Amino acid sequence: MKESLLEILCCPLDKNDLELEDAEYDDSSEDSEILSGTLVCTACGERYPIEDGIPNLLPPDMREESPA
Amino acid sequence: MKGQEWYQADDIAEEYDDKRFSRGGQLIDRREKTAVLDALGPLEGKNVLEIACGTGRFTVMLAEQGANVVGLDISAAMLQQGRKKAHASGVDDSLEFLRGDAGRLPFPDDHFDTVVAMRFFHLADDPAAFLSEMKRVAREQIVFDTFNRFSSRSVYNWALPMGSRLYSANEVSVLLAKNSLELVDVEHDFLAPYGLYRAIPNVLASPIRTLDRAVGRLPLTDHLMSVSYWNVRV
Repeated sequence: MKESLLEILCCPLDKNDLELEDAEYDDSSEDSEILSGTLVCTACGERYPIEDGIPNLLPPDMREESPA
Repeated sequence: MKGQEWYQADDIAEEYDDKRFSRGGQLIDRREKTAVLDALGPLEGKNVLEIACGTGRFTVMLAEQGANVVGLDISAAMLQQGRKKAHASGVDDSLEFLRGDAGRLPFPDDHFDTVVAMRFFHLADDPAAFLSEMKRVAREQIVFDTFNRFSSRSVYNWALPMGSRLYSANEVSVLLAKNSLELVDVEHDFLAPYGLYRAIPNVLASPIRTLDRAVGRLPLTDHLMSVSYWNVRV
């Protein structure tokens, strides 16, 4: 994902802003492509991982470790 | 949501496009893309969200035409296919993919001009709730398709890996009314179900499609069509 996507993403649970933590950038791209990191809700603290460049904004009850 | 595990497997994602959109599937692909492009109109600078974007078939096309597109899906495997496709088309800059739940979208109210959801509502367990969430993030327009109840789709439905929810025109009207959405346009098509087109060889696909369209132009066949493409205003 590009850093600019952060401006529109919000927490799927309470729609509050997200903060980017532990970001790793792709050095080969010019427009600061984020490969991994964590998006943290500034209100509820829920954490959403960025995996292989794709942010995972699935609510906690829909992630792999919990039954679909 | 139906078929979640099947849909998210890596091997299914890798073969998804080939399997779905080869042979007669190409006819379906073109028809669906035309339906989406016609409904959306000029795309330059438009902010579009695609729900259940899968491998990015529409997402990439919309980005190629100048839209800023976000593609959302539950499957990481499908989205990685989409990223490859976007990169190959050189549209990485105007397109983003992310995993998310269509019922709890990670976007503020009224952020997008248009929300597109193709091949989505037949998997939706609570269509009214999903439509309401799409409306929340859409400023102008929602475009989606349904598979229809009183059609050949009913016959073919039992064979699908994930099952499928069918709609009557009346059910869709009620869904729109519940969400205060205004119908702009609807097109009904495909007397023969998609599954038939995918199963037959190329040489038969075009003649059958020609016949399908010819019969479909006869009066009173609209309600027998297996697919409807809906264009609604928020």
